[in-house]
Amino acid sequence: MATIGIVGAGTMGGGIAHVAALSGFNVLLHDISTDVLNRALQRISTDLQKGIEKGKISAENVEQTKQRIRSTSTFDDFSPCNLVVEAAVEKLDVKKNIFSELEQRCLPDAILATNTSSLSVTAIASSVKNAERVVGMHFFNPPHLMKLVEIVRGQKSSDETIRKTIDLAKQLGKTPVLVNDTPGFIVNRCARPFYGEALRILGEGIASVEDIDRIVRLEGGFKMGPFELMDLIGIDVNFAVTKSIYEQTFGEPRYRPHVIQQAMVNAGYLGRKAKQGFYKYEL
Amino acid sequence: MVFLIGESPMVEELGEQCARVGYTITVKFNRPLQKEKLPPLLRSSSTIPRGTALAIELTNTDKEKKKKNILLLEKSLPGHTVILSSSVTVTATEQASWLKSPERLMGLSALPTLLSQQLLEVAPTVNTSTKTVSTIKNFLERLGKETAVVQDRIGMVLPRILCMLVNEASFAVMENAAPPRDIDTAMKLGTNYPLGPIEWADKIGIQQVFSVLESLHQDLGEERYRIAPLVRQMAAGKRWWST
Repeated sequence: MATIGIVGAGTMGGGIAHVAALSGFNVLLHDISTDVLNRALQRISTDLQKGIEKGKISAENVEQTKQRIRSTSTFDDFSPCNLVVEAAVEKLDVKKNIFSELEQRCLPDAILATNTSSLSVTAIASSVKNAERVVGMHFFNPPHLMKLVEIVRGQKSSDETIRKTIDLAKQLGKTPVLVNDTPGFIVNRCARPFYGEALRILGEGIASVEDIDRIVRLEGGFKMGPFELMDLIGIDVNFAVTKSIYEQTFGEPRYRPHVIQQAMVNAGYLGRKAKQGFYKYEL
Repeated sequence: MVFLIGESPMVEELGEQCARVGYTITVKFNRPLQKEKLPPLLRSSSTIPRGTALAIELTNTDKEKKKKNILLLEKSLPGHTVILSSSVTVTATEQASWLKSPERLMGLSALPTLLSQQLLEVAPTVNTSTKTVSTIKNFLERLGKETAVVQDRIGMVLPRILCMLVNEASFAVMENAAPPRDIDTAMKLGTNYPLGPIEWADKIGIQQVFSVLESLHQDLGEERYRIAPLVRQMAAGKRWWST
């Protein structure tokens, strides 16, 4: 079976490692911090354990899955990888450095994918001599539960790279959707009005937070209203996505952030993780 | 006895719900509906029956026609008869200003498909009387609906959010980010939306969506509410991706 390298062992990297190992791939999980690596392995173990409890997976399969994951803090081990998914911090210079390191160590036909949600795949690929092998592979949080993967075609991604990446996503049990390298790709972009208009409606005093959420759930059939969802995602995280798309489109007014978002972040009301966002949560 | 006047398919959609809970329903369409298409529980009439206790106006895409309908209701019904009127593309306040007795009118979030949901938004104006509010709340309660009272503004809450979701998805299609069906797939799997934006527009009707967006743009006057040319074209051509 092929080997998948994963760079960055945070929530996304760890989750992708989980999915890949569970699908039978050998996984090489990289992080500069051994602490982060250990925490990721622990979390994968816990999540797999939950799978046993729910009857989704056998104890034997869990053991085999865990054995397929090897952790490392050096890129020197990446030479056997057929595909690498980078899931490091969302900073362009950090990602560009990682990609040029990977280019020097991986096989010439290995696919180099980025899990970026907000940066341009084409910009990340600019650090690599052969940008045809670079592609976006945007997983959703948590990767072991969310079915969707956005396959992002950079300006220079080759058709073969795209085809292989789509095949791989399917082997991981995911539903791939191909999107061109445009700000926010599909989901982050097309979801902007859900939050943006709700914030406008709140800001203009048309309805309260509670009423807007109730309306969206009961009149629209959505599982969650926009404010509940912002609290869950993290108001700071959602604000950062909005700002990123706004800046990448040179200030397109449809994506302009709202002062309410800034005020909530300034106050430290970041949502569930801070026990307070648009709603209060039990301490 | 309830009288409904306005656009298909909203008149049938709400009319059938009223008939099912025992109201006697008379309907009048802006454009005549073929007889075989009229649901069996509804009776179509060009005149408004005496004894009508509540009149409902459901027109979003043609403001002049809407005004004619509202004025017809005023002329035909006693001054105390309550009027519930879609206020998604024309505010209830503006509609009430057409009337000699503005206290009788309240706005409703009426769009095809949304009318069948569990909750509807209502918008009183500064002149809406408490009696009008309570009559309408009782009526909607009998239909088994929850209500949310919102300020009287174009697009209200859900129609504004939904139509802007459709607008954004339409820009994404135009800009070749991804094809329409893939956008729906991505939004349903990536965000857990009950329907993708393209499907929403198919259910609601692209001409309805266009009317809401046009009214929002006119009302708010911001580039943010610029209508995707694709929406404009498809609404004019009466075509959309069917799902």
